Amino acid sequence: MKQHPLCTDTECEPDVLNLPVPSELRQEWAVLQTRRHFLGRTGKVLGWAAMASLLSDRALCGDTRQSGAKGPVDPQVAGPLKMPQFAPKAKRAIYLFMSGGPPQIDLLDYKPNLAALYDKDIPDSVRGGQQLTGMTAGQARFPIAPSHWAFKRYGKTGTWVSDLLPNTAQIVDDLTIIKSTNTEAINHEPAIMLMNTGNMNPGKPCLGAWLSYGLGSMNDNLPTFMVLQSKLNMKEDNQPVSSRLWGSGFLSSEYAGVGLRSQGDPVLYLSDPNGVSHEVRRNMLDAVNAINQQTSQELGDPETHARIAQYEMAYRMQTSVPELADLSKEPKSTWDLYGPDAKVPGTFAYNCLMARRMAERGVRFTQVYKRGWDVHGNVTGTLPILCQETDRACYALVTDLKQRGLLDDTLVIWAGEFGRTVYSQGGLSPENYGRDHHPRCFTTWMTGGGVRTGISFGETDEYSYNVVKDPVTVRDFNATILHCLGIDHNKLTYKFQGLDQKLTGPAPASVVQGLLA
Amino acid sequence: MSNRPRPAVLVDRLISKSKPARVQGLAALLLSAGLLLLPWLVKLDGKPHADWQQLLGRFHPLLVHLPIGLLALVPALEIAGAWRPALREAIAFVLSLALITSLGSLTLGYLLAYGSGEVGSTVTRHMWGGIALAIGVALCMLARPTWSSRTLPFAYPLLLTCTLLTLVWTAHEGGSITHGSNYLTQYLPASLKSLALGNTTQVQPSNPTSFYTKHIHPIFDANCVSCHGESKTSGGLRLDSYDRLVRGGKDGAAVVPGNPSGSLLLNRVTLPASHKQFMPAEGKPPLRAEEIAWIRAWIQQGASPTDATVAGISIPEPQSDALLIPVGDYSALEPEIQQMEKSQGAKLMHVSGKPSDGLVLYTVDAAGSFGDAQLEQFQNFAPYIVEAELGRTGVTNASFDTLAKFTHLRALHLEGTKVTGDGLAKLASLSQLTYLNLSSTRVTQTAVAPLASMENLHHLYLYDTPAKPTPDSESTQPIARNPQ
Repeated sequence: MKQHPLCTDTECEPDVLNLPVPSELRQEWAVLQTRRHFLGRTGKVLGWAAMASLLSDRALCGDTRQSGAKGPVDPQVAGPLKMPQFAPKAKRAIYLFMSGGPPQIDLLDYKPNLAALYDKDIPDSVRGGQQLTGMTAGQARFPIAPSHWAFKRYGKTGTWVSDLLPNTAQIVDDLTIIKSTNTEAINHEPAIMLMNTGNMNPGKPCLGAWLSYGLGSMNDNLPTFMVLQSKLNMKEDNQPVSSRLWGSGFLSSEYAGVGLRSQGDPVLYLSDPNGVSHEVRRNMLDAVNAINQQTSQELGDPETHARIAQYEMAYRMQTSVPELADLSKEPKSTWDLYGPDAKVPGTFAYNCLMARRMAERGVRFTQVYKRGWDVHGNVTGTLPILCQETDRACYALVTDLKQRGLLDDTLVIWAGEFGRTVYSQGGLSPENYGRDHHPRCFTTWMTGGGVRTGISFGETDEYSYNVVKDPVTVRDFNATILHCLGIDHNKLTYKFQGLDQKLTGPAPASVVQGLLA
Repeated sequence: MSNRPRPAVLVDRLISKSKPARVQGLAALLLSAGLLLLPWLVKLDGKPHADWQQLLGRFHPLLVHLPIGLLALVPALEIAGAWRPALREAIAFVLSLALITSLGSLTLGYLLAYGSGEVGSTVTRHMWGGIALAIGVALCMLARPTWSSRTLPFAYPLLLTCTLLTLVWTAHEGGSITHGSNYLTQYLPASLKSLALGNTTQVQPSNPTSFYTKHIHPIFDANCVSCHGESKTSGGLRLDSYDRLVRGGKDGAAVVPGNPSGSLLLNRVTLPASHKQFMPAEGKPPLRAEEIAWIRAWIQQGASPTDATVAGISIPEPQSDALLIPVGDYSALEPEIQQMEKSQGAKLMHVSGKPSDGLVLYTVDAAGSFGDAQLEQFQNFAPYIVEAELGRTGVTNASFDTLAKFTHLRALHLEGTKVTGDGLAKLASLSQLTYLNLSSTRVTQTAVAPLASMENLHHLYLYDTPAKPTPDSESTQPIARNPQ
């Protein structure tokens, strides 16, 4: 038996058969030893077998790429998925994340009756004893703040859209507007975590990581899951977003999102340092990989494989990322569509254009973060800036995907982590108001592969406070996204801490059939 | 039962020798009669009875393995006994044990079926199998001395063979109850399956477009019929057809048209999951909320088997998926596929875990080196490829000949390639093609004209082509045509 060099617990027994003893005695020894060995070994084997059955396969093999549901044998979920469970409508997704909580009342959830209720108190029955944030809980009264902006009807569907979104208004017939999205969290960090990872506590894999894990890559040269952060505008209230939101949690870190920087090199230290040729870099990588392979064989930690894969990906990205970020070949029509902002790296418009380019290059999931929607005060001052930054880009992205034939199998999602209150935070005047966090309803939209476009789904009450029809919880929202991409949220699981973990968590979630094409 | 020699005749001949043998014969006769009468004495009425019966009954699946093992031992001992006669001495003892354990299993099995109220054709067959088996074992015990003494040399081997065959059949029926009747055949290769099962034709529903057939029955089929079906009919209720559904079970009508709250079926599926009578039972997943809503609305509006719609419920029609023609199983080609991916750099990815969904040809990693010649290499897999992403590759008009052989192609990406449209008409034979992307190519209006005859081609993209010049921001709509 081969011994590990560090293992000193060597069984060293003298071989009695070679001792100088009479041959009869030797024969007797041989018989006895056989029996003794047989019994001893049998005992050990039984012990090992018992232990093996107590430990799971995973603990024995160090293979953590197990997935799949329990219960009836389903060939589709045995072993790592790496492909959809059923034929998907969308092959990829672009998630435009409006961090901070866009005010649904000022954008897409039209409440014409509120104008007459200006500065009236919101009825207690509507609030229903809800616990508010520390920012407005102390307010003496909760005066209704109707939207400062007018709404008009657009498209064949006659959907009401705020004057703040003149461009988005042009594509309403292509959108699936969900007015009844609701969440359980009222503060940014838990709410944004819930939206992205299905759990308010950090540490779970996010949607993009689950998708990479479940669907695998469509291309070898770019990561499966990429994250683009938009440049901050200091006039806005920028809540922080952290890499926890695109982390892989307990899944292998291969599945974590790869962020591109909004300025300078898109990926730091990607280019070869001065004096290091590409060949030297390759040799260095090969040597590092060999060492990693050795470590992997000794320890069996799957994270070592993740590291090898990441090094290789980074090497390929040395050529693929500059090509991706090279916008010089984009025709004039692109700039006409996305607007001048798109020429400035790091703007939301630039990121939307990048998202389209990634979709063309086989990136499975791109998440674009736009911060600044946390309009606690000065709504009339800040909101037009936010809309100016995002409205045209959203329109351009959807239009561009559509004209290039990419929208058929790309799902585009626009969502924040919660909505905002109908009542004013702080002072209310005809010119200005503020809005606090509001988890009970917020408006999101999707378009593209898998969703039924040209509809508004769900309804809120006349204060845009409570959902009165077809509520869509965050769990349902995420289950629906997974469904569009060919994944049954109940079957994309990963055993961790004794649970079959999944994006939608242990509470029952269902795919919102009304949203599906 | 019919394959068994009539006990009375045999017993008469068997027991004429001695008094103990006569007593044994009489006991066997009484036992057999008792067993044969059992189903009439204690009738399986489909109603659940006392809990203790189920408690004991659930040991039936454990205990049955003892008589199985013991009986399998008998022929082994008989054959081995030809060389080592000492082994045959044990056979009488093994047979007695087998008899005792089969009677025990029979009792427990009966308690299980009676206690849990299970009836159904498979349950009935399994019961008769068990009874026949116990009688068979008793007769074997009786006949064996006549075989050893060569007074009746054929009775025992014959009886033993019959008993063993009965054992196999009974065990299979029992397995079908616990694992489902398709447990053994589920993963049989399709070719063998048709051989083994014959052409099982699905009964066509009488109203293929009714709400019941399209939405309600599939719910029952997926969640209920495994216990409330033909082979297992718990509580006397069968949900495998509309007639059976309205007939109800032992506890009464499952569905009362117009009265959801009075319908037992709806009551049972809406109980708290921890409730004893909650359905689906035994930890199976509960019905989804929307499924319950559909059933409720359907009952509310008369539980009709024929109505096509139920007011207030709109279930989006599954898109043309149903019309998609499944491709063949490419699993056997898997090694070739991997070989191909290695040599060409292009990927053949599974659309989903279901082989009949086909393959997608991705060239994004090899776009620079992929051209007409490379595409030709993939001809072998043509019948399985439903989507070809050839965007920005080097393919030219020459590839249309190859592409015309991709008979299952539904989506074709040629954007940014060098095709100019000559020969585009060859694609007209691709009857399933719904998506064709020719953006950023040099195709002209005349070149795409023949495509108008393709009635399934709903999505034709000509952005940035001479056929549709670079649009200004106003007219950026793709040409999306409808068949009508």
